[in-house]
Amino acid sequence: MSSVLWFQAGACSGNTMSFLNADEPNVVDLIVDFGLEILWHPSLGMELGDNAKKIFTDCVSGEKPLDIFVLEGTVIQGPDGSGRMDMFADRPMIEWVTELCDAASIVVAIGDCACWGGIPAMEPNPSDSTGLQFHKRERGGFLGPDWRSKSGLPVVNIPGCPAHPDWITQILVALATGRAGDIALDDLHRPQTFFKTFTQTGCTRVQFFEYKQSTTSFGEGTRTGCLFYEFGCRGPMTHSPCNRILWNRQSSKTRAGMPCLGCTEPEFPFFDLAKDTVFKTQKISGTIPKEVPEGADHITYMAHAAAARIAAPQWSKEDMFVV
Amino acid sequence: MTTTQNPSEAVDLFVSPLGRVEGDLDVRVTVEDGVVTSAWTEAAMFRGFEIILKGKDPQAGLIVTPRVCGICGGSHLYKACYALDTAWSTHVPPNATLVRNIAQACETLQSIPRYFYALFAVDLVNKNYASSPMYDEAVRRFAPYVGTSYQKGVVLSGKPVEVYAIFGGQWPHSSFMVPGGVMCAPNLSDVTRATAILQHWKDAWLEGEWLGCSVERWLEVKSWEDMLAWVDENDSQRNSDCGFFIRYCLDVGLDQYGAGVGNYFSTGTYFEPSLYENPTIDTRNDALIGRSGVYADGTWHAFDHLRVSEDVTHSFYRGDRPLHPWEGETVPVDPKDGREQGKYSWAKSPRYDVPDLGRIPLEAGPLARRVAAGGPGAAAHQDDDPLFVDMINTIGPSVFTRQMARMHEAPKYFQWTMKWLSEIDLQESFYSKPVEHTSGKGFGSTEAARGALSDWIVIEDGKIENYQIVTPTAWNIGPRDSEETLGPIEQALVGTPIVDMTDPVELGHVARSFDSCLVCTVHAYDGKTGRELSQFVINGMV
Repeated sequence: MSSVLWFQAGACSGNTMSFLNADEPNVVDLIVDFGLEILWHPSLGMELGDNAKKIFTDCVSGEKPLDIFVLEGTVIQGPDGSGRMDMFADRPMIEWVTELCDAASIVVAIGDCACWGGIPAMEPNPSDSTGLQFHKRERGGFLGPDWRSKSGLPVVNIPGCPAHPDWITQILVALATGRAGDIALDDLHRPQTFFKTFTQTGCTRVQFFEYKQSTTSFGEGTRTGCLFYEFGCRGPMTHSPCNRILWNRQSSKTRAGMPCLGCTEPEFPFFDLAKDTVFKTQKISGTIPKEVPEGADHITYMAHAAAARIAAPQWSKEDMFVV
Repeated sequence: MTTTQNPSEAVDLFVSPLGRVEGDLDVRVTVEDGVVTSAWTEAAMFRGFEIILKGKDPQAGLIVTPRVCGICGGSHLYKACYALDTAWSTHVPPNATLVRNIAQACETLQSIPRYFYALFAVDLVNKNYASSPMYDEAVRRFAPYVGTSYQKGVVLSGKPVEVYAIFGGQWPHSSFMVPGGVMCAPNLSDVTRATAILQHWKDAWLEGEWLGCSVERWLEVKSWEDMLAWVDENDSQRNSDCGFFIRYCLDVGLDQYGAGVGNYFSTGTYFEPSLYENPTIDTRNDALIGRSGVYADGTWHAFDHLRVSEDVTHSFYRGDRPLHPWEGETVPVDPKDGREQGKYSWAKSPRYDVPDLGRIPLEAGPLARRVAAGGPGAAAHQDDDPLFVDMINTIGPSVFTRQMARMHEAPKYFQWTMKWLSEIDLQESFYSKPVEHTSGKGFGSTEAARGALSDWIVIEDGKIENYQIVTPTAWNIGPRDSEETLGPIEQALVGTPIVDMTDPVELGHVARSFDSCLVCTVHAYDGKTGRELSQFVINGMV
């Protein structure tokens, strides 16, 4: 049995809502069948009154062993580093976060906000929000680059806006079943088993990408083509398993015709959502994508694209996802 | 912690924190003779979304506002999109309106059981009710994690948002609704699968667990008398979760408190596709299926967004007068300094200028929608449902009435959603590319599960000049205004009886009946000595 304490700081509850969509295991399975002991959660905790606050303080003091501390939401440092823009149980949340991170064996940041600051930390960052161990791509964040939990691990980042329930539940199960050693982290502290692949891996539009055939409009235009060329899709530059482990067991944004926004990467939302950047591919000279797939450069990309267009078969120019 | 309490003494209870959509919410109440006499609701967290949106791409709201609240993210997307549709004068094909309606409704169908079992019903097993003859049965059904109804309700709540994902790619946090339509173009199996998922949800939970009868039979209930007759009609209905809930509430007295301000505000939601192909603010009310409306002092009024304003007298923002959201400002002040000026919340105080009554607080949420649905003048395509007007006139608003209003929408919206699914014409268009005008003003609104949710956008030079979001949580938990008039939850808490000061579950019932996404810790202080008496946490919403 592993004990879990889940807090929400500068959060929208999106990761909790995503977590509650989980299946195999679902939330009830995790607790009833799997023996995960959720000490407290803003939506699921049962302890009331002094019992609840005692859980927090017992975790801090070490009287109650805290195996996993999960944080959802940004660490709000404003105004002027006081943390008074996010009060929880009479104290700035940053004080609880500091103490509980130090008390836990493993600290897990769920969602972009806790990982690297997310949307609240985008320019001009009115609440002085940051992530637990990163601020955007920069190491450090709230706890500092060298911080390690009691078990010697840095903060385990499970990004996404929100994180997929499986990315949460399977990691919790792995930690709970003594498989912490199998969790290899990448340089952004993300579990590689999920984040080595690209969002494009498994995308139903990948054949259109192969032959450089673009979707021409939203709606019925998405019955064909790839969203990378015109609609700002970040699938080839984003690491996630969104098209391997489907959302709500049904689909993914790119399958449904929505460009990937790159929400598992620290820069999300990209370009700070400046004028003319939303759902629009940024281009050089009006034609060449400013960003090309990871590992490619513009010269090889253009050579490949020219050859691919010549090779494009007729079906790649027609609707595929038809009624 | 002191558990004894002289009932004649005045006591302050400080509730911290109580909120979850826009962060934590603290509530302070004064208790005299075992009854709440005044209340202050304090939103305790600030992220500054309206400041972030300023100067950004006009479509930034489609990505940013769903992240205001991941519980109602689909609702945020829906109204953000209509704010742009009205600002850019788009054309929205009927198919796109249907898909938007379906997606918005599926978010709400998810929320109803998830909220009911994971948050509200767990309080029904509070030991304060142990003397009820129905207590053991309540525990068997509603005990967290192990309750028979809890397990099914919570797990099956994920089904309706599978349908959302079919159209939008994922839930929560898709941005698939765009000015001019939707990004998707569903194919045959998308629609058939969506239909099958909802049928399964209806069989497994809505009819199988909740109603104990058909959706159609429940929707024949038009009055409180009908509802009581429905309970006693047969064992299946009597012993369904709904039948049991009605009987239990009456037994433990949840129909006796939590009335609120008695005035209601709904901006309505879901559009009749043929009436809203060219969305404008002026034609919005008439195109709605779920009606908008303001009900105050017993009179119905048509909703007019120009009558909305936000007051920041007691909010941690600079400002000296109520402003319409197009002119709205969001300039935060340090809470430490704000408190010295009598400010106590990060929520603003939305108010509505009711003809002849002036700027007053109004309750948003399912009960407000149900009151709007009972008003006069419904067109053929509009919701026309007298049930909750009858209940308000017979048993009055209360924690129970508010809960039933929410639950009543599950069968109603299920039926609507199935109809919309059947109306999608797969051969027709889902999107009309809009002209992205470089300036304009827009208003978009919807009914999130927990109430009216609206955006006001001002676009200049191809960028957002001003963006203001008014949430149902702000309507309900907003603090006092410049007239010192209490906000709706503040008002609803007044008069609440507290049986056990060390475990004031009644405050939780009232707060949670508004479903304002609340997490709360209650601190009880002796009003005279300031000594802390008790503390408890009310868990948050889903």
